[in-house]
Amino acid sequence: MPLDEALIATALGAYTLGALALLLYFFSRTSWLRDVGIPLAIIGCVAQFVQLIVRYETTHVWPLLNLYGSLSLFAAMSVAIYIGFAFRYRLWFAGGFVLALAAIFLAYGVTWYEGTMPPVPSLQSYWAKIHVPIVVSSYAAFLVAFVFSCIYLLKFYAQRGVTQTGDSSGPVARWLAALPSLPQLDVIVYRAVAIGLPLISIGIITGAMWAKEAWGAYWQWDPKETAALFSWIIYLAYMHLHTRHAWRGLRTSWVSVIGFVSIIFCYLGVNIWISGLHSYKV
Amino acid sequence: MTATARAFYGDFVRTFGNVLFAVSLFVVWGLLTLVGVVVDQGQDPSSYFQSYAAPIARAILRLNFDNIYHSPWYVGIIGLILLSLAVCTFKRVIPARLPPLHPVSVEKIPLHATFDVDGEVGDVRRRVAEFFAARGWQMRERCFGGIEWSFADKHNWARRGVLIAHTGFVIVAAGTTLYWARGFSGDMAVLRGATAQVAQTHALIRLDDFAYKIAPIMTKSGMVYQPIDYVSHVIVTGKDGTPKAMTVRVNHPIDVDDTLYYQASYGFGMRFAVSRFGRPDRALSSRTFLEGDSFDLPGTSRTVIYERFAPTVDKQSGMPTADPRVNNPAVVLDVAQGGSPLGAALVPLASSIDFGDGWRLVPQQYVIYSGFQYRHDPGVPLVGIGAFVLLAGLIVSFYFLPARLYLRVDPLTAGRVRIGAAATTVKGYDVFESEFERLMVTLRGEMQHAVG
Repeated sequence: MPLDEALIATALGAYTLGALALLLYFFSRTSWLRDVGIPLAIIGCVAQFVQLIVRYETTHVWPLLNLYGSLSLFAAMSVAIYIGFAFRYRLWFAGGFVLALAAIFLAYGVTWYEGTMPPVPSLQSYWAKIHVPIVVSSYAAFLVAFVFSCIYLLKFYAQRGVTQTGDSSGPVARWLAALPSLPQLDVIVYRAVAIGLPLISIGIITGAMWAKEAWGAYWQWDPKETAALFSWIIYLAYMHLHTRHAWRGLRTSWVSVIGFVSIIFCYLGVNIWISGLHSYKV
Repeated sequence: MTATARAFYGDFVRTFGNVLFAVSLFVVWGLLTLVGVVVDQGQDPSSYFQSYAAPIARAILRLNFDNIYHSPWYVGIIGLILLSLAVCTFKRVIPARLPPLHPVSVEKIPLHATFDVDGEVGDVRRRVAEFFAARGWQMRERCFGGIEWSFADKHNWARRGVLIAHTGFVIVAAGTTLYWARGFSGDMAVLRGATAQVAQTHALIRLDDFAYKIAPIMTKSGMVYQPIDYVSHVIVTGKDGTPKAMTVRVNHPIDVDDTLYYQASYGFGMRFAVSRFGRPDRALSSRTFLEGDSFDLPGTSRTVIYERFAPTVDKQSGMPTADPRVNNPAVVLDVAQGGSPLGAALVPLASSIDFGDGWRLVPQQYVIYSGFQYRHDPGVPLVGIGAFVLLAGLIVSFYFLPARLYLRVDPLTAGRVRIGAAATTVKGYDVFESEFERLMVTLRGEMQHAVG
C-alpha cells in the first residue's frame, strides 16, 4: 500500500476508534475512555496532515483541488480546531461527535479518489494555495460550532424535560449537570463561529480575487459564490443576533445549525449536484 | 419639523435601528440569494417552462427570479440593508459601543464583586489603579456627586470594530456601484488569423494562434481527458496605435488601456460548401460559422444551426467520443422548419448532407477560435479597500474583547475600606466571567498581601 493511502487508512481508523471512545466518554464520563480518545484524535489528525504533505511531495500537484483532497483537509482541520478548543477550554467530552463527523467526511472523500490528475487551467494558480485552505478551514470551524450547538440544544431540551418531570436528582439530571452550563456552551459556539466567519470572509475575498484573475470578474453569481454568500449571511445574522441577550443561546444555536447545513450545501451540494464554475469533483 | 414628520422619523429610526429588523433583511437577502443558486439564471424563458410546472415558471419570470441578482428585489434589499446599517451605526452601535464614563449600581451588574481590605482610601485607590495599569488596563478617574470613581478599560480602541466593519461594507457597495456606473464588460470570439475590435475601447485584437493541451489520463472510472493549458498568442493595438505581441492564458489576463482581457473559452469555426442543384452558394460558402450560429436556406423556410463541433468520432460506432483532441472530426447540425425543430445530424468533415429542394452542404474546413472576456472595472480598488476594511473590522470585533471595569473604594471604618468592582463588555457577561473572577481573586490577594 502506498504511504499516502496507508496514512489515510491510519487516520480513518484512528478517528473511528477515537470517536467510539469519546462517544462512550460523553455518556459515561469514564476517564480512561477520554485518555484513549485524545491520542487517537491527535494521531488521526497528524496522519492526515502528513498524508497531504506526502501526496504533494510525491505528485507535485496541490492536493486540495478535488473533493478527495479538500474533504481530507476539511476532516483534518475540523479535528485540529477541535483539539485546539479542547485543550484550551477542556472540552474533550464533545470529541466523539467531531471525530465521527471527520471520519464520515474523510470516508466520503475517499470514495471520490480517482488517482492523481493534473489541475485544469483555471486551477493552476497560486490562489489555490491560499483560497482553498482558508475556505476549507472556515467550514471546519463551522463544523465545530455545529457540534457544540447540537450539544447546547441537547442539553437545553433534555434539561427542560428533566424540569418538567421533576426528576432533578436522577441519572439524566446528573449527567446533564456534568456538561458545561448553557451560557458556557453558547460562548464556545460563539468562539468557533468567530473563527469561521473571518475565515470564510477572507475565503470569499480571496476567491473573488482569484475569479478576477481567472474569469474576468470578481463576482459572477456562480452557484458556489452565491451559496457561500448565503452561508456568510447566515453567520452574519448569527453574530448580529448574538448581540441581543434574548436571542443568545437557544435561538443562535439553531441559527448555527442552519448555518452548517448551508455550509454543507455550499461545499458538497453545489460541487456535486449543481453545475457551475466550481464543479471540481475529481 | 411637524409632529407627523417627527413621529415618522421616530418610527423610521426605531425600525431601521433595530437589530432584529437588520437580521430580517439578512434573512430575505439570504433567501433571494438561495433562489439564485437553485434557479438557473439568465436562461431562455422557454427553458423554465421545460424545467418547472407552468405556474412556477410563470412566477419565476414575473418575479425576475431568472435574473434575480439584478432584480429590483435584490438591489432593493441591499439598499435597505445599507440604510439599516447606517441607522444602526449612528443610533445603536456608536452609543452602545462608545459609552461615556458614568457611575453605576455595582450590585446590579451581573459581574460584580465587593470585598473589604485594610488601608486608607487614597492609598488603596492608588494601589488598585496600579494593579490594573500594570495589567494593561487604561485607568481614568472621575468624580460624580462627590464620589470618586475609577474606570478601567481594556481594548477600548476595539470598540470601533463594528464601525470599521460597517464602513468596509459601505466601501464595497460604493466600489460595486462605481462599476455599474462607469465600467463595462463583454466577450468576443476571434478566429485564428482574424482581428476583432472592442466596441468600447476600439482596441484591436488579432489572434495569431491558439493552442490547447489535453492530457488523457486513465482513472479508476475510466479515461478522462484533462485540459492542461489554453493559450492565445495575440497582437494587440491599443490607444497608442502600436501593435504589441502578447500571450493570454487562463489566470494570466493582459491589460490594455486599463481593460483586462481573459482567456475564457475556445471552439471551432466551420466553413461549409453550400450548393443548390450543384451550384455553389457563394455568400454562405464564404462565411465561417461559430458554434451556435445559424443560417437560412434561401427560398425555403429551413434553418440550419451549426450546433457544435465533434472533434473525434469513433470510426466503428460512428458516434462522437469524449476526446476533445481533433482526430476524425464531424459537426452536429440541427435543422428547423419554420422555427420547429426537424432533427439533428452528425456530419463528418468532407461528407455531404442533403437538406431537400436541391440544397446540399459539406462541412469543409474548421478554424479554431479563442473566446476572450474583457472587463474595465474602475471600482476594483474601492472593492479591495472595502474588503480589507470589512475584514479588519470583523477581526477587531471578534478577537478583541473591550471590557470596562467600574471601580470605587469607599471608607468603612478607620483604616478599613470596601472595594466595589463591576464589569461590562460589548459581548455580554458570560464571555468575561472567568477572567473577571480571576482578576478579583488576584486583586484581593494583592491588596491583602500589600497590607500584610
